[in-house]
Amino acid sequence: MQSAHSLPGFGDARARDRPRIGVVGADLPRQIVLAADAVPVRLFGSWSGAVSLRASELLGAVDAVAGRILDAILAGDHDDLAGLVICNDSQANLRMFYVLRVLAERGEVPFPVQLLDAPRGPGSAKKAFVVAQYVRLVEFCTAVTGAEVGVDDLRRAGDAEQSVAVALERLRERRVQSRCTGVSALNAYRAAACSAPEVAVAAIDDAQVSTAEGDRIFVTGSAHPDSGVYQVLESTGATIVAEDHDAGDGGWFAACTTGDSAADILAGLASLHADRPPSAARGTTAERVTALRRNVIETRGAAVIALVRDLDDAPAWELAAVREALETLRVPFVSRTRITAEEAISTSSDVVTALAVREGAYG
Amino acid sequence: MSENRLDTAAMATRYQKAWFAETAQRARDGQPIALVNADAPHEVLRAMGIPYVVNQWWASIISAKRLGPASLERLAALGLPDFSQQYDAIPLGAHDLPVEQRAWGGLPEPAFAIAERSGDVTQKIFELWGEREGTETFLLSRTGADPVPSAWWEKVPHDWEDAFGADRLDLLQAEIEELVTWLSERTGRTLDRDRLAQIMDLGNQQAEWNRRTRDLIATARPTPVLVNDTMPAVMVPQWHRGTQWAVDTARALHDEVARRVDEGVAVCADERRRLMWVGRGLWSDLDMYRRFHEEFGAVFVWSMYLAIAADGYPRYGADPVRALAARFVGFTDQLYVPPWSAQWYVKEALAHGVDGVVHLVADDTPGAGFISEALEAEGIPVLEIRANNADSRSSGSARIPERIEEFLRERVPARA
Repeated sequence: MQSAHSLPGFGDARARDRPRIGVVGADLPRQIVLAADAVPVRLFGSWSGAVSLRASELLGAVDAVAGRILDAILAGDHDDLAGLVICNDSQANLRMFYVLRVLAERGEVPFPVQLLDAPRGPGSAKKAFVVAQYVRLVEFCTAVTGAEVGVDDLRRAGDAEQSVAVALERLRERRVQSRCTGVSALNAYRAAACSAPEVAVAAIDDAQVSTAEGDRIFVTGSAHPDSGVYQVLESTGATIVAEDHDAGDGGWFAACTTGDSAADILAGLASLHADRPPSAARGTTAERVTALRRNVIETRGAAVIALVRDLDDAPAWELAAVREALETLRVPFVSRTRITAEEAISTSSDVVTALAVREGAYG
Repeated sequence: MSENRLDTAAMATRYQKAWFAETAQRARDGQPIALVNADAPHEVLRAMGIPYVVNQWWASIISAKRLGPASLERLAALGLPDFSQQYDAIPLGAHDLPVEQRAWGGLPEPAFAIAERSGDVTQKIFELWGEREGTETFLLSRTGADPVPSAWWEKVPHDWEDAFGADRLDLLQAEIEELVTWLSERTGRTLDRDRLAQIMDLGNQQAEWNRRTRDLIATARPTPVLVNDTMPAVMVPQWHRGTQWAVDTARALHDEVARRVDEGVAVCADERRRLMWVGRGLWSDLDMYRRFHEEFGAVFVWSMYLAIAADGYPRYGADPVRALAARFVGFTDQLYVPPWSAQWYVKEALAHGVDGVVHLVADDTPGAGFISEALEAEGIPVLEIRANNADSRSSGSARIPERIEEFLRERVPARA
């Protein structure tokens, strides 16, 4: 495939003029949005900050990260978006779609809202359903941007995303080689999810920081929508070398494929989706633990930390199995559950201390 | 007030206890049984002759025996969360309690644990069942409620392709077929599709009787039955959906209500305010529902249990597997997903001529405020209460009776 830098239509100047389509969740194949001549911008939310009473009441009891995203949308922080795609990749995000669908209908949000419902896993029925969802996504993007999406557009977008995929592969290698911190990696992933491809490639390749000689940490548990907690963890001298949450290695960044027709390409994307690493909210514990065990070995993780936010319950159900698997590897494991925004930083410090005690010579 | 209790409710409760004892004995004798989530396609199991126990019903029995805390402690001892989706998780913990502590002698080891992947946690709980010796798990997909055409209750009986969308139905239908194959491989039994069609027909007949009963209560003045009495009278037969007994019991309920209407029976002698209860039943204080009869002449005439049994289940169609998929592909969407939820509650409130609504807001559903807002827009005052329906500590601190009294005084004028 071509370098993104040489591709027409994906330059930074053009990107500034193109419609931006917001994304909540980690199931979006950006290739489709890019093919419609729009820039996908993932809304991550954050670990900290208040959640308004209105957002809490609209969503019910869910991970506060979703509440913060909803608050930002309702406050008009994302009014520049041309549309919003919400992935059914967690109960919190699905509820956000239900709420925003009503509010969009009432004109309380200034852009249309679309559900991307992509159950993961093998089987022709699931694949057919996901392909149908991608067709709807194409139609949504076309309606938003006015740009028709043909096979050439999809190929061109796929080429551009491929350059991001290659850059991310380089990033992962640097992390394993201790040439990139977890904080830098998380920020690079953010760029890959929020920028036009060539901007993302540059940001990802800029993520080159010598790491300290401390322990190599693998992070599981809740996703980290910002790097605040990573900063605390790495301030002790540790390096986060990998993770399995969807804001990092466990996400679906720069998925792309090619084919003889648009239908081929959408089917190819659905196949890639089916084979993705499992997420806590949608995968089984067995799948998750198998993947974690493999990743810890491959990235030479010396310890594993799981931080689970309050009301983000799926990872909490995995901890017993994770602990058992890591004991067989003799890898220390520390976990904390029901973490609130107020506790995020102190809990992060606490797990580092706990890990030091477990290992005896940490840091 | 005991003379107001429904014979059908008492009969259904007795039947359920006897049924469980018999099913448990059959399981102990070696017959495979299944543990299923409430929204799994039970009719397939019935058609294949595999007895099943509904997880949520079993949780209610364990909770009624006050074994919930001990069950959750068992989960915590295994390193599992005791704070997450407790109602669904309680049976898993209860299964490890000492035999002498188990409710009704305990649930025999199920051969199959079957659930749809609703939420983030249900699949994890059912996966854990499958790690037990002798139990295997089957999980079905749960797609999002999209599209949501207006007036779902008019569409779902016949026009379910439009109501839920062909894509969603295609997926669940295919997965039900996979479930059938999976069960066949393990039991040696095959699915008799004519038998499944009969079961679907019986389920539809049951829903039709429930609809007649619901409509009867909607138009009856004064109200002839207590809502806390119709709950067991409707829910126990629901777990036997697809049997002649369930149809007969739904009909018996209808006939008993009709007799009461004919005889002018009133659960509240001086009915001056008609109330609707939106939300799950207040299991921790069922007597609360008749607490306002004397002072306020206020009677609860509606809860969702009979109404959803009337509107939520009927599915008519030539292909029983696809019709079954249509029954479950969006079952809880009908109750909990806006705008469907708000539209339905308004329809029911108007049909029942209610003067006020008490809305027990669940924290596990989105957009509950849309329901209150839609009812208020129709001129129906709404009291929102945020509390856990099954936890007496939560409902106590929410001051539910006191707040309803204030609501009645301030916002719900008595009829002349």
